[in-house]
Amino acid sequence: MPFREINSKMVEATVMPGQRLFSQRGAMLAYKGEVSFTPNIQGGQGGVMSMIGRRVANEDTPLMTVEGSGSVLFGHGGHHVTVVNLTGDTLFVEADRLLAFEGTLQQGTMFMGSQGGVMGMVRGQISGQGLFTTTLKGHGSVAVMAHGGVFEVPITPQRPVHVDPQAYVAHYGDVRNKLSTALGWRDMVGRGSGEAFQLELSGNGVVFVQASEEKL
Amino acid sequence: MSHYPGAGPTVYDPMTLPSDDNVNNYTFCVELKGSQWFLQKGKMIAYYGQMDFNGIGHGRLDGLVRTSFHSPLHASDWVVAQGSGKMLLADRAFDVNSYDLEEGNLTIRSGNLLAFQPSLALKQSIVPGFLTLIGTGKFVAASNGPVVFMEPPIRVDPQALVGWADCPSPCHHYDHGYMAGLMGGLRAMTGLGGASGEEHQFEFVGAGTVLLQSTEVLMAEQATGVVPSEPGVPGGYGAPAGQPQQPGVPRLPGQLGDLQRRFGL
Repeated sequence: MPFREINSKMVEATVMPGQRLFSQRGAMLAYKGEVSFTPNIQGGQGGVMSMIGRRVANEDTPLMTVEGSGSVLFGHGGHHVTVVNLTGDTLFVEADRLLAFEGTLQQGTMFMGSQGGVMGMVRGQISGQGLFTTTLKGHGSVAVMAHGGVFEVPITPQRPVHVDPQAYVAHYGDVRNKLSTALGWRDMVGRGSGEAFQLELSGNGVVFVQASEEKL
Repeated sequence: MSHYPGAGPTVYDPMTLPSDDNVNNYTFCVELKGSQWFLQKGKMIAYYGQMDFNGIGHGRLDGLVRTSFHSPLHASDWVVAQGSGKMLLADRAFDVNSYDLEEGNLTIRSGNLLAFQPSLALKQSIVPGFLTLIGTGKFVAASNGPVVFMEPPIRVDPQALVGWADCPSPCHHYDHGYMAGLMGGLRAMTGLGGASGEEHQFEFVGAGTVLLQSTEVLMAEQATGVVPSEPGVPGGYGAPAGQPQQPGVPRLPGQLGDLQRRFGL
């Protein structure tokens, strides 16, 4: 496990020769040892086609490759940081929430419409994810940023979880999500509860929720 | 301080307020018993008891300023609290911590220092924008996120550095190996591909401690006052002639100086 949480806003990553890390540009706070930081034009893994895909999908956060041997401290913008360890699952997360992740993870881009067609696209608009979101798949760790602290809510087949779209951070596992609406005439006349849209996640997995409704 | 969810906010009175300790992560309580503290203007949020806050130009305090305040041109940013009671200090909800020095020295970014005991001497550091505290006593500093203490050798993002203690070697480290070679040269000429944002660090070696804050969001700088303009004084206006560091002079692209400008160094 290369990431160690030092405090709520900082993680320490151990870099060893032959292992690569990707991190958001400018998120390094300090390092020990011989470590190099190379800006990554492609914004992650894969070839040029992956890069074009990310550019088109607007999921091309400026990343840099971290290589060498030593330990690096990461933190960014005063946001809270959570480490997610993946063991073969796929993590769905917005690219600008990624602080750092291991090179062993496979990075991809997912079209929101591929999960539920048009409703998936509507859901992306409402949760602020846009039409695309980033996926990380495989074995490895990810440091995810959030505004306010993050807590994990397990999703089981008996208990679907409803999340405010603005407080949604990421999820992994075998999860179906859909947007549940509770729009009524009250919302139309401006007397709504402000909670008309919720993300409903069901299946088997985990969703990460931030203790704030502020987007990054 | 114990605080349980659902128990409501803790209510303090003059007896239960801690003495020279943190009330919570963002507030520090100083107890004055006829003693004095230096504090930055505007950082006191409340006090109990009888206290005077005097600007440093005040006549009676001249002796104090002579012994423990050594940047006369910076004095107008500081006040002296005097009297007895308890005083709460805070700074825009940044994390606040106190540090004890024992016959030691610590250099800190000027914007981060909130208050200090007069048993410490405050001096301008040779490094512009930093202040050095020397002696024995307590001081209070703010930071953006909790402070992490690290041992050298270490290289630190300039924006994450809060200060250092006992380290005699703060220096610059440039790291742009990827700019080498043909592709690197093209990159440097065109700016294509971007910069990693981590080409420049502060490097510390030797014995001591380095203080880091948890983000690169800087706190507002605080003027440290000007230094005498003599040749050989860093930051002084009497820069020696013949130095080629004049801004606005066109240079060939790809030179190191050009890179530095591109990175805003």
